[in-house]
Amino acid sequence: MEASLRAQRTAALLIFAFLSLLAVSSSAAQEIQILNAERRIDLSSQIAIVFLTLKVENTGKAAASEVLLSFPPTEADHLAEVKAQAASGKKRKKTHVPLDVKPTDVPDAPKGAKCFRIALLNPLSPGETSTIEVLYMLTHSMEPFPAEISQSEPQLVYYRDSAYILSPYRIKQQTTFIKTPSTNVLSFSRVEPTNRAGMELKYGPYEDRPAYSFSPVLVHFENNNPFAVVEELVREVEISHWGNLQITEHYTLAHGGAKLKGVFSRVDYQSRPGASGVSSFKNLLARLPPRVHSVYYRDEIGNISSSRLRTDSRKSELEIEPRYPLFGGWKSTFVIGYGLPLEDFLFESTDGKRYLNFTFGCPLSGTVVDKLTVKVVLPEGSKDPSAVVPFPVEQHMETKYSYLDVVGRPVLVLEKKNVVPEHNTLFQVYYSFNPVFMLAEPLMLVSTVFFLFAACVAYLHIDVSIRKR
Amino acid sequence: MASKPVTAPVPITWYPTLAVFMLSIGLLITASFFIYEATSSRKTRSLPKELTTGALASFFLGFGSLFLLLASGVYV
Repeated sequence: MEASLRAQRTAALLIFAFLSLLAVSSSAAQEIQILNAERRIDLSSQIAIVFLTLKVENTGKAAASEVLLSFPPTEADHLAEVKAQAASGKKRKKTHVPLDVKPTDVPDAPKGAKCFRIALLNPLSPGETSTIEVLYMLTHSMEPFPAEISQSEPQLVYYRDSAYILSPYRIKQQTTFIKTPSTNVLSFSRVEPTNRAGMELKYGPYEDRPAYSFSPVLVHFENNNPFAVVEELVREVEISHWGNLQITEHYTLAHGGAKLKGVFSRVDYQSRPGASGVSSFKNLLARLPPRVHSVYYRDEIGNISSSRLRTDSRKSELEIEPRYPLFGGWKSTFVIGYGLPLEDFLFESTDGKRYLNFTFGCPLSGTVVDKLTVKVVLPEGSKDPSAVVPFPVEQHMETKYSYLDVVGRPVLVLEKKNVVPEHNTLFQVYYSFNPVFMLAEPLMLVSTVFFLFAACVAYLHIDVSIRKR
Repeated sequence: MASKPVTAPVPITWYPTLAVFMLSIGLLITASFFIYEATSSRKTRSLPKELTTGALASFFLGFGSLFLLLASGVYV
């Protein structure tokens, strides 16, 4: 009896020890600690650009192959882009290697926190440290307060963040610097030690904070930089193998800052430009590729003549001025179209497929696009279209009927939300095309004209008289 | 991976010239077709000659109108 009891006890002890070992090993798999974290937030424009430098140390027993980043739920919705790179070397000879960042699900994160996984190039062995630099951008994160202003008032906005960097790891030492566009900061929350010097606010240094520590802060400051938001942009790229790329862009532009209260006085606006409508904007610059031709800028009323095109060998700049300056809450819709030579953008790869190498993203500089749709219209007879885009987009296919079309042209539609100027990179669309299909268009014209001639011949040969001639 | 740019089968600068020449040749052949129809009688008419003239005229007129569309900016 005693022997069986002892056996049961040892068995229970063994099972407990085994389970505890399992638990310890699974939690020690990714034991990382951040020795030093420095965060620089730049609030000069309507996009909050945050640069994070993390000095990461592996305190566990196993090698760590990834580092997790987490964002509070309010920030996660407005996150436009997250990029990471590994920095190595001393001050002058720093080398940067880009790292892969992917969204991920962490089961024990606080409710709503969105996590990203940075894949390290070489796994971090226990005891080793590494420096990782992360750049991320937030759109619509500055809330205008007061929400409505009159024409002569400056625009004041709220920026909400946390004094402690939200991280799944413990941070030994951290500092946050916030840079405002002007020295006019009305108020800012204090989480000691906090300092303000001119256009820079310093939160920290804070020592030894546990994982997922968060302390909300609010900064109320003046930001008169143009809050140009393109609510919807549809870019259509039509490829014609006869030598031209035709781009048509439909914009819905809005001013995303504090709404205008009261009447708009044109007299005040024009006579005192420094004191009236300081947060409004009246022109935008579109950067187009070189060798652009047939540029037009029109809206539903007709052509808008207040635009200027400057071209040189490396780029073209189109400066557009909408029919009226844009104040808070005002909108403007227009169409910009232009043509480009085919050989700059369409190439043939070694496996016989053709591909279009073009920029994704809005050519208007300094704007945030809420919803961007890029439609690539491929010539009739193209097969197997596929897109290679450096960031995640939604794809689907459509058909468009254009000039001299029988079956229609395949259209590859790419959609993305929350686009910032950082997304103005190249993407490729691959498709296979048999050059014989190019003859379809002239042969269609030839056969139509021949049908007319044949009708002529038939008419002259047919004898419709009742009596024999 | 060396990729070569895809260019148009005919140099773009030739489009207006080609359009003018092909359309004028096409119209000349159309003229000769209708003159043949008008001057010949039912007995002397030969169907193969009519059809070849018609085919040749439609070839030149078809390609000429394609180049005319391309030269005026309608990249079909």
